[in-house]
Amino acid sequence: MVEEKLEEGRLGVGFEPLIVAYCCNWCSYAGADLAGTSRFEYPTNIRIVRIMCTGRMDMTLVLEALRMGADGVLIAGCHPGDCHYHKGNFMMEKRFDYLKEAVKNVGIEPERVRLEWVSASEGGKWAALVREMVEEIRQLGPSPFRRLQIPKKTDAMIDAFKSQRLRWVVGRSQIKVEIDEGKYRQTVNAIMHDETERHMITGALKGKGPLTAEELAHLTGLQPRRIVQHLIALRRDGKVNEAGEKNSQYLYQLI
Amino acid sequence: MAQEPRVGVFVCSCGTNIGGVVNVQEVVEYAKTIPHVVHADHNLYTCSEAGLVVIKESVKKHNLNRVVVASCTPRTHEPLFRAACKEAGLNPYLFEMANIREHDSWVHPHESQKATQKAKDIVRMAVAKAALLEPQTEPEVEVKGSSLVVGAGVAGMTAALSMANQGFKVNLIEKEKEPGGMAQHLYKLYPTLADASEVIKPLVEGVKSHKNIELAISTTLKEVSGYVGNFNTILTGPEGDRELNVGTIVVAPGSSNYTPPKGLYEYGLSDHVITQREFDEKLRKGEIGEPERIVMIQCVGARKGEIRPSELEAFPKSDTAELLRKILKARKDEGWPYCSRICCMNAIKNAILIKERSPKTDVVVLFGDLRVYKEYEDFYRKARDLEVRFIRHIEEARPEVIQTSEGKLQVVAYDALYGMEVNFPTEWVVLSTPLIPSKDEIMLARMLKIPIATDGFLMEAHLKLRPVDTNVDGVFIAGTISGPKDVSESIISGEAAAARASILMGNGKVKTEAITAVVDEEQCIGCELCEEICPYGAPRIEEGKSKIREILCRGCGSCAAECPKRAITMRHYRDDQILAQVKALLIPEGSKEVVQ
Repeated sequence: MVEEKLEEGRLGVGFEPLIVAYCCNWCSYAGADLAGTSRFEYPTNIRIVRIMCTGRMDMTLVLEALRMGADGVLIAGCHPGDCHYHKGNFMMEKRFDYLKEAVKNVGIEPERVRLEWVSASEGGKWAALVREMVEEIRQLGPSPFRRLQIPKKTDAMIDAFKSQRLRWVVGRSQIKVEIDEGKYRQTVNAIMHDETERHMITGALKGKGPLTAEELAHLTGLQPRRIVQHLIALRRDGKVNEAGEKNSQYLYQLI
Repeated sequence: MAQEPRVGVFVCSCGTNIGGVVNVQEVVEYAKTIPHVVHADHNLYTCSEAGLVVIKESVKKHNLNRVVVASCTPRTHEPLFRAACKEAGLNPYLFEMANIREHDSWVHPHESQKATQKAKDIVRMAVAKAALLEPQTEPEVEVKGSSLVVGAGVAGMTAALSMANQGFKVNLIEKEKEPGGMAQHLYKLYPTLADASEVIKPLVEGVKSHKNIELAISTTLKEVSGYVGNFNTILTGPEGDRELNVGTIVVAPGSSNYTPPKGLYEYGLSDHVITQREFDEKLRKGEIGEPERIVMIQCVGARKGEIRPSELEAFPKSDTAELLRKILKARKDEGWPYCSRICCMNAIKNAILIKERSPKTDVVVLFGDLRVYKEYEDFYRKARDLEVRFIRHIEEARPEVIQTSEGKLQVVAYDALYGMEVNFPTEWVVLSTPLIPSKDEIMLARMLKIPIATDGFLMEAHLKLRPVDTNVDGVFIAGTISGPKDVSESIISGEAAAARASILMGNGKVKTEAITAVVDEEQCIGCELCEEICPYGAPRIEEGKSKIREILCRGCGSCAAECPKRAITMRHYRDDQILAQVKALLIPEGSKEVVQ
């Protein structure tokens, strides 16, 4: 059945979007409950995953869901100021900018990922939101990932969001930073790109290493100059080292 | 090494609530094919005694080590099923719920086939999580045997006395100079026609003299922190701020009475157009005399359609308190959408009072719908017997009040029964106005994190099942803060809130969150980020490693989402447990992995 759905979906025939909704327990999950109690009807295309708070939303949870072929991901939490845990939703809101950037980067329409506030008393809002989102995604068509168009850097991007360097700068943005917010965001985005590229390199070395910079450039599609810059950084961090030479070029391997 | 998961799935028909839409048998058969499922069955009502027995017996018979119930929302029924698991010898956290009612059958009543498919997906997702569940324990915390009651109206005083009589220490605070609340401004109460002052007198005397009650007037709640069993509050009174430490909180600040805008039915333009509340006051003072006619108009500022979407539009950018402020402002001129419940009886009561004093006075009650319930029907008949005239107008043609140049009042209405316009010259026009949310509520809701419903009143934890609980453990609501109530209903809610709080205080302890954060010390680099972002101060860096103090951790998971080393996991909501559900949905085992 699922297979059938995916096959059909890939062809864009009778396309039924499948949306993963991460709902916080206190507001949005309860809001969806109220939609039920109030018998507000909405399309069947959404599947709810209960979490305690949107503050819990590690960005990889969204990226992985997209990677697995979700046509859309909805993150729904309490209205600002209403968070059961005071500020979890604000933290999610902070992350959301970066998340959008990441999603765009791997070729997914940013509209497929939404962050919305639905309170426990807004059953009607929940139903309307689902209706609207399903319709929007129906217009967009199946996720490009469902159609097997998954850019190589997707997994590297997910790994980047598991890496200490990127997580550190994102995490710091949750607390007061003395730098201009716009500038800070630029820095985070730059690190996101860096880390993604580095994970593309380490990914290639893991599967096919040792490799030369030229071979890496070929495999990853990155500029040789970028490859060399990253190799220097990776070498400094103790992640790669030289493993002999090939055609008078250094070969690199993972440590 | 963990045991191989042996999952039992119990699919509930919930009478026809689920079974009327979802093909339950098909879901059961499907469940049997899901990996790790060793037993699947269906019940008419899984939450019934018989249904619970089936779960307990199946656990033993099939040697289940995980249980999935596919039924309603875990927000109401999870505790019940967890308890059943516990009785069967399973750790209650080895239980997972698949919500196929609120999130499925109830919202897709006309799409049986798709709803059945969705139910299968939801069950498959729940099984995937269940297979990865681990036993958890709930730490116990002490509950102080003391309570803070906010608001010394009928409900608050009742709650305070009830708890004090059980031996608990109660701090009762009232923002006004005297306890008594709204009832002290009332004259007679329906249906007994007893003096309101007589009814509240024992309450006021009680709270003033009870050895377990400390009453503080002209005092408000300024700040709250802490958690169930141990709330730290700051009270502001005439002598400045003071701290108070209590185990539970009962919120009973009451509501306000809607005041019509100037000009509505000539209100504010004529001294003889007044609200029922003002009329009460005049009756008490004997200022009404024996007029020839009095016309009462019902539902003034009540039952005026819906709260418009435009009022809620600004919501995403604002918060609860801001929303309430907006609603209060917008509703000032237009009235409120709900039935205020008490106005019909109140009007009948005042009509009877007039008739008993001055039988010759023609009392006319103009209404759209008259809502009298329980024994109040007799009360209504009594008024009819006294020849009070109840005249129904149609909603589209509300009565009109005209003031002549000589200052005489005249009410024009459309009599729906006779289908004709009627005209009443009158001495008094009395407007029945609803109880509405008060501004104090804004602050309280904000501070205590209690959501506000779209009608503007505070929201109960569950409309039917938990009417005096809030979604904040240890905080209860009483009186008209959750909607219009008369005096006896306020007393009931006060007693109820006191009983709920006393359960906690009587036990002296309560089980708290099992879902807390755990640090993998091997991974932790002691970066202090968790310490900085935790709203509860639960993590503390000791010897270069983060230590989570479980009693303070409320389980939001923000630290886990931000930990640079991914060294923090959330019990019961680990990344792999969450993603297992997503994977079960999108790439279920057995299907060809389409995403490469």
